[in-house]
Amino acid sequence: MKILNIEATLKSPKVIFDTENFIFEMQGNSRPENVRNFYYPILDALKRFYESALENNKLEQFSSKIFKYNFKLEYFNSSSAKFISDIILLIDNYNKKGFNNKIYWYFEDGDEDMIEVGEDFSEMINVPFNFIMIKK
Amino acid sequence: MKNKHIVIKHIGNFNSEIIDSILLSIKNLLVKDNYPLIIRKRVYNISVECLDNILKHSDIHTVSKKLYDDNPSSFILEKDDTAFYVKIGNIILNENIKNVDNKLKKINSLNLDGINELYKNSLQNGEISKKGGAGLGLIVMSKTTKEKILYSFDEINNKFSYFVMNLKIRIDN
Repeated sequence: MKILNIEATLKSPKVIFDTENFIFEMQGNSRPENVRNFYYPILDALKRFYESALENNKLEQFSSKIFKYNFKLEYFNSSSAKFISDIILLIDNYNKKGFNNKIYWYFEDGDEDMIEVGEDFSEMINVPFNFIMIKK
Repeated sequence: MKNKHIVIKHIGNFNSEIIDSILLSIKNLLVKDNYPLIIRKRVYNISVECLDNILKHSDIHTVSKKLYDDNPSSFILEKDDTAFYVKIGNIILNENIKNVDNKLKKINSLNLDGINELYKNSLQNGEISKKGGAGLGLIVMSKTTKEKILYSFDEINNKFSYFVMNLKIRIDN
């Protein structure tokens, strides 16, 4: 089931949160007009999903399968970075409770700054990311 | 400083439509001139943060039209053979100078490792302000350019000053 299915705009990324196929994905650019209005519902949806799984004793079902978090961002501004880091902290928080979330960080060939910020996020939670290069 | 020339210049009113149009022009020019991806992204990134800064942090709400016309907000992108230069200017309340000055002094005192640490700490501990800023913009500018941020405050009167900031994005490193 797609809990989130947000279309991309020029200023905001496409976001999919598909709990049936165990995929969360963000793709595109992020400098939304109102950064809180864009990111709060995403953080809320993620939190609701994990809390509901915990309440309904579904942890075993979810811990046996990898939940993929794909970050395929071309560009994000500094206020978006704050919220992307909040998503990553949330993912890590639920991994500590037994979930099996893995982060895949995509970057374009030659975009060393995107790798660096991925490394910063990874160091922040002390968990390695899977870095994937996109060739153009 | 050979062949330094203006790429884009906008002085006067800034709103989100104007900013979108400036950013689109920058993007197209950088692609047209065939700059490497990393340079294109750095110039774009710095331009976004600078334009956001003008939009969110200019203290112009209580400024008279005459004072604004004499000291309009400005965004100028220049380049020479070695670098792109982004210069922004806007009115600031004198009472806000100390805060901005302290932030910039701290950022300029740090080496690259220090900047990266500050970035990570601010991500984890920074609150998003009502204006949508996370206090990260200036840190990102320093992290992206890997250069010191040059800036000045020129007093207009006892209430306002004009804040100027200069960023340099090297093409040759």
